[in-house]
Parts: sequence; structure tokens; C-alpha cells
Amino acid sequence: MKAITAIGSRLLQTLFVLWAVVTILFLMFRLMPGNPMAAYIDPNFTPEQQDALMARFGLDRPLWEQYFIYLGNLLQGDLGESFFYRTPVTERILALLPNTLILTFSSLIVAYAFGILAGSYLAWKRGSRVEQVAVPVVLTTRAMPEFWLGMILLAVFSFTLGWFPAGGTRPPGAEYDGYWALYTSRDFLVHLTLPVLTLAIYSQGLPLLLMRSNMLDVMKEDFVTMARIKGLSPFTVVIRHAARNALLPVTTSFAIAVGYQIQGNVVVETVFSWPGLGRELVRAVSASDYPLAQGAFLMIAVVVILMNLIADLLYALLDPRVTRE
Amino acid sequence: MTSSLQTTARLALMSAAVATFGATVAAADPIRRIDLITRPQAAQPAEFQFVQLIAQEWRRLGLDVNVRVMPWEQMSDIVWFNRDTWDTTAWQMVGRPERSDPDEIVYNLFHSTTAERGFNFIGYNNPDYDAIVEEQRVTLDPDERRELVRRAQAILAADQPNMMLAHPQSTFAFNQSVWNPESVVEQGGIGIRNTWTFMSLEPAGDQRSIILNSSDNVQAINPLYISGGVDSWITELVWDRLMRIGPDGLPTPWAATGYEWIDDTTITVTLRDGMSWHDGEPVTPEDVKFSFEAAGSGESPMYGPFVTNIESIEIDGMDITFNLIQPSAPFLTASLAKINLIPKHIWEPIIERLADSDENAESIQEDTPIGSGPFRFHSWTANEEIVLNAFADHFNAPKADRWILRIVPNVEAALGMLRSGEINFLADFPGDPSVLQSAAEQDPNLVAVSTVDIGFRYVAFNHRRAPFDDPAFRQALSSTVDRRMIVGAAFRGFAVPSNSVVSPALEFWHNEETGNMEAGLDRARAILEEAGYRLIDGRLHYPEGVSETLQ
Repeated sequence: MKAITAIGSRLLQTLFVLWAVVTILFLMFRLMPGNPMAAYIDPNFTPEQQDALMARFGLDRPLWEQYFIYLGNLLQGDLGESFFYRTPVTERILALLPNTLILTFSSLIVAYAFGILAGSYLAWKRGSRVEQVAVPVVLTTRAMPEFWLGMILLAVFSFTLGWFPAGGTRPPGAEYDGYWALYTSRDFLVHLTLPVLTLAIYSQGLPLLLMRSNMLDVMKEDFVTMARIKGLSPFTVVIRHAARNALLPVTTSFAIAVGYQIQGNVVVETVFSWPGLGRELVRAVSASDYPLAQGAFLMIAVVVILMNLIADLLYALLDPRVTRE
Repeated sequence: MTSSLQTTARLALMSAAVATFGATVAAADPIRRIDLITRPQAAQPAEFQFVQLIAQEWRRLGLDVNVRVMPWEQMSDIVWFNRDTWDTTAWQMVGRPERSDPDEIVYNLFHSTTAERGFNFIGYNNPDYDAIVEEQRVTLDPDERRELVRRAQAILAADQPNMMLAHPQSTFAFNQSVWNPESVVEQGGIGIRNTWTFMSLEPAGDQRSIILNSSDNVQAINPLYISGGVDSWITELVWDRLMRIGPDGLPTPWAATGYEWIDDTTITVTLRDGMSWHDGEPVTPEDVKFSFEAAGSGESPMYGPFVTNIESIEIDGMDITFNLIQPSAPFLTASLAKINLIPKHIWEPIIERLADSDENAESIQEDTPIGSGPFRFHSWTANEEIVLNAFADHFNAPKADRWILRIVPNVEAALGMLRSGEINFLADFPGDPSVLQSAAEQDPNLVAVSTVDIGFRYVAFNHRRAPFDDPAFRQALSSTVDRRMIVGAAFRGFAVPSNSVVSPALEFWHNEETGNMEAGLDRARAILEEAGYRLIDGRLHYPEGVSETLQ
């Protein structure tokens, strides 16, 4: 019963955060310098056309009226029509969101799988030569800018060795029977490799270092000493006993990393011509395309908020002490 | 406390001066700090560079110049929507095929009626100039009209409403192991990336798909909406027009086999026989009439201005007669070569439905756009790729099989893709043209072609704010800098210096006498001195009796 109340209040909190995000987004774009009409400046652009366009976009109404219209439409699941593309924002976002989610999650899964294993290994090898070399290397990869790393990977693996294509999700003119056939095709995986590698190299540092320091703490605990005394093999001690307990904070960091990663996607999507939401977001902001920019930010915010919610709930599941307190 | 004392002292001094010398000799103010706006170096390296050079020279005249760097969003907001708040700004006009007729540039950029909210954002107002550009619009004889356009350019050269700098060169490249270099068409003022090239590219090997790049997304594929620049590459291929701008920059018959002026306000065109839409229906004169009516229906606001001069359209067999309200010299280019021919059987129901709705034709995105052009629409993957197929039934069917546009926002990657064969036509290269040129020199398969553009770069003066309302002052500022130096330093030689908005690429219209502008600080100082401006303690002051109106 208590657990249900906890989850319920957590959900209410989430709704409030969403409303706040929507409101801030609405105001932010309208207070930013720039004018949506600027995208249409042309020698043949007449004053009548400018007025018609303003009315068409609803920008001739007072701000508070625009806000309530926007909220009302949002409640019905309508994100409005893009100024730039003149088509529904929802349609546009749904076409691009899968590409961004695939890029984000595959790179994070690679980064976390590697980070967790390598972090445990380094904790196990505490004080060795391996640790002396590996920790600075990890810190270096963490400090490399993504666009730079991406360009280096492109120069080496695409333009010099010719192993991977330089951009997009598929070869020119290739066709597939639906999304599933595309996402499971070899073509797609080949195109996905370099962007995922760039993001994964950049993001493995966090789980790796986190895992390592957690492991070092856990290894000092009595139950690990107990396991050792029982005569279990070092592998069993590290993986079955220590790692399982050290994993908890890493789980939460995964959810938070999703938020950070989407931010990093903007750069990687541009470097690898990846048709994702991040690139669209940048385009929408620079064209003062309010509905599209709001919609894209909202979608990213929803993903981040959802991931945090999932992390909280998962934490309760993995460590029952959280709900009991 | 101190400042109010100083003010009182100054007022006392001034009144003493007026009392002594009379009203004719009033104190002159120093010219206030002048703003010069540019976009950031990362976005516009050439612009940023020439602005620094110009600011440096202006400072040597005794002006306090403040360079303001801001992104395009902010720049356009100030320059375009807050017209009385800025002093000077860098600006650019891009070249488009329909700007091969000088009307759009000489009229819309400088006519006084477009000053308040149109493209004359500098607020230029010269009744003599207005009269000449109005006259060239209605003068049908090409030679007479040419004389008027040349006179308009001469007035601009004397008035210096803007500080004209250069016509940049557009540089594009292709892979000659894929495309026969003889089949590439260079269009004057535009470059090798043009409709004619895409129709005539001849495969040199097995690759039969034109794979090209664009750094910007495609907004819409819609014959009734003038959207982004990249979109126009597609609309020009999917839809035919009665005329097209030829490689020589002049309108040539296309879907029409010919045209004839009956009198000053009546023109008859003959539609080509045997054309069909991509869905198999025949193209009829009714379709043509409908296309012009749809453009003027109010549902297509961006095309509306190009058909407002049409009073009525009559059909007689395959002949279509346009009755105009007043004579119009740019009609062939601005209307016949501009309006997309659209199928009546598809668009008539849409236009009727739109009449009762808030929406207009700009928000209509057909799943499969239907035109009659040399390429037919095949597929569109958002922000990634557009595929068009050759339309074999077209009267000028392309030699390639497919036209595949890849969206590549990373410019360096686009060049790498051209080298690796992922693309075979570099159709968009916003980077440094010398990089592209040297890449082509290293790789025998690559050919880079630079063409002088119709578009141009300039520094605009705001005539609403003194001292920019004074032609002598503008003339002086404009003549401080040698344009050849700008071309060398800012454009790395990939531009031609210019003092006219009508590009030398448009040989027929360009007035070459505007080009020999004397430049140098001495000349600028002489002009200023003659106009009464004075240098006091290294600071430029207004002529006597003129005071600063803005602070």
C-alpha cells in the first residue's frame, strides 16, 4: 500500500515537471532574439505576405492567448504545425525519434557493458601496472570532444581505410520493407558503427570509473572478506558478490546518462549526417521554428524524465531499503 | 554633479558662440560611434574577414567603429524588423536562375515603395531612380530596356546606397570517372549545379545514379510553395514551366514551343504536343491555365506576386493567350519561367477545399508529388535522402537513371564522400573553395568548376540615420577600401570585385562603367573634406551646422 502511494506521488511529481518544462520552453523560444519571419526574407516578400504569415502562425495574438492555445492543443496530443516544413510537428518528430533512440541506447549499452566489466577488472587489479596505464587513458577519452573524435574516426575508418560509410543510415537509394527490415539489415549496422563508437568511447568513462570506485568500497566490506575466507575463487568473489552490490549507483547513472547523451547526439548526428532529432532541434532553433523546437525539446525532456522515473522505480526493486525508509 | 556643471558650461559657451558669430556658424558635433554588424567567423568566414578590413579603414578616417558580431537570427531581427535601430551591416544576395532578369534586384531592393517593410531595408529614396526602374519594367524593347537598366546602375554608383563589394564564385565538383565531363552544363551566373546538367549528365561507366549532397534539409516538395533553396533544385526537376532560364541566362521556350507578343499587353504561347503527367494523364492547355490561376488564387501567397499582372487567360487549341494589365518586360522570366505547371485533376479539388479553410496550399505535402518534369518523384526519407527517377516519356528525358540527394550537414565529410565515391556530384560546398580546388588537383577523377555568381556581397548603409543619409558620406566610406584587396583577402580570389548589383555574369545588363571605382584613403578624405566634414583631434565631425541627432 505504502509502495503504491510512493509511486503515485512520484507520478504526480513527474506530471508537474512536464508542465514546468512545457511552460519554460514556450517562453524561452519567444524571448530569444530572432524572428520566425526571418526565414522568409526575400525581395518578393510583401508586407501583406508578412501579415498573412504572422496570422497563419498565430503570432499576431497576445502571448498569453498563444500559451493557452498551445497548452490546449498539447492536451489533445497536438504539437502544432512546423513553421519551416508546414507539416505537423508530431509527424516530423516520430519520423526522426527512432533514429535518435537507436543511436543513444546502442551507444550507452556498449559504453555501460564495457565500462562495468572494465571497471570491475581495474578494481580487481588495484595497484597494478594495468591500472596505472588504464586510468589516465580512460580520463583522456573522457576529455576528447565528440566532434573531434568523430572526425578522426571518419578520417581513419571511412576515408582512409574505406571500411565504413561516412554518413546516413543506409546506402544511397537503398529500400527496405519497413523500419524493422531497415534496422535489422547489415547496411544499417555498418552505418551505425562509427557514430555508436564515437558516443561509446566518449561515454564509457563515467560507468567505468563509477564502477571501479564502487567496487573498491564494496571489496572492503565484511561479506567480501567472508566470501574470500570461504575459499571461493577470485572471479566468483568479484563478479557474484562484489559487482552485484557495486552495480546499484551505476544503474541510476545510466538513466541520467541518457539525458547527457541526447545532448551529445546533436554533435554526432551532424558529424555523421545521422537523421535524428538532435540535428532537427538545432535547425528548428536557428530558424525560430517555435512549434518544432518546442516539440523536439519536449520529446527529449519526456525521454529524460521517463528514464529518471524508471531508474527510481528500478532502484526500489533492486534495493528494497529505498521504499522501506 | 560634475556632469551637470559641465553641461551648463558647455551650453554657456555655445550660446556665446552663437551670439558672437551669428546663426550661420553653429558648432558641429563629432560623429557618434558607428555600428557595423557581421555574422560570426565560424558561420561566415569571408564576411567576418571583410568587415574587419573595412572597419579598420573606416577608423583611419577618424570614425569610431564598433563591430557587432551576431548570428543571422539576431542580425535579421535587427536589420529587417527594427529598421531604424542599426547603422551599417554586412549583407548578401544569393543567385537564383530567375534573378537572371535584373528587375527583381534593381526594383525590389531600391524602389521607395519597398522601404517601409519590403526589401529596401536600407531606406533608399530617390525619385529619379524610382522613375527609371518603373520604366524599365514596362519597356519591351530589349535595347531600350538595357539602356534604362544601365542608367539605373549608374545612379546607384553615384549615390552608393550600399557599399558593393563582390560577386562571389560558386564552386561545385563532380567525379569524371562517373560522369562524362562534356555532358556537364555551366549555367552563367549559377554554376554547374543546375537543371540542365542534371538532365544531360551522361554516365561514363556503370554508375547511372546522380548522387549529390546538400548541407541543408529539404523543407517541402510543393509546386505552390517557394520554400528553401535546396527545395527549388527538386521542384525544377519534377515540374515543367512554359519557359526555362537557359544556360545563357535568357528565357528559352520549354513546355511551350514558342511565344509571340501580339501587342504590348498580349502574349500567346503554344503548348508542346504529347506531354504527359507522371501519372499518365496528358498535359492540356486547361492544365496550364489552371496552373496560373492556382498561383493567383490566394492559396499560394508566395507565387501570387508573379501573376497579379495577368488580367485573363484564353485558350485556342494548343495556344494560350495571356492578357496583361500593363506591359511587363520581365514577364517571360518572372512569370512564364517561374510558375510550375501542375495537373488540374489533382490540384483543383485541393484548391477548392482550401478555399473554406485557414490553411493554404503551402501546407499540402502530396505523398507522391505529380508533375510533368524530366524526373519523377520516387521517395523521401526525412533529413536523409530524396530519390527521383528519370521520366522516360519526357521530351528531354535525362540520360541518368536516378537523382539521389543526400543530406550531409558535415561539409568536410561531403568532400570526403566525393573522394570515396559515396557521392559523385558535390552540389553544395559552403566551405573554402580553394580547399575544393586543391582536392581536385590532387585527385585526377575530380573536376571542380568555379562560376561568377549572380548573387553578391555588400555592406548596407541605413539611410534613415545620419550621416548615412548624405550621399557624399556614403561615397567616402565606400571608396576607402580597394575591392581587389577584399577579393584577395576575404574571398581567397574566388570572387570578382564589383560596384554594381547587376553581376558581370549578366553581360547584357551589366554596366561595366560602374566598375572603375577609385579607391583609397586619400580619395575618401578628399570627398569628406569637400562635403564639409572635418577632422578635429583625430575624430571626424559633421559639417558645420549639422548636429548629431542620435546618441
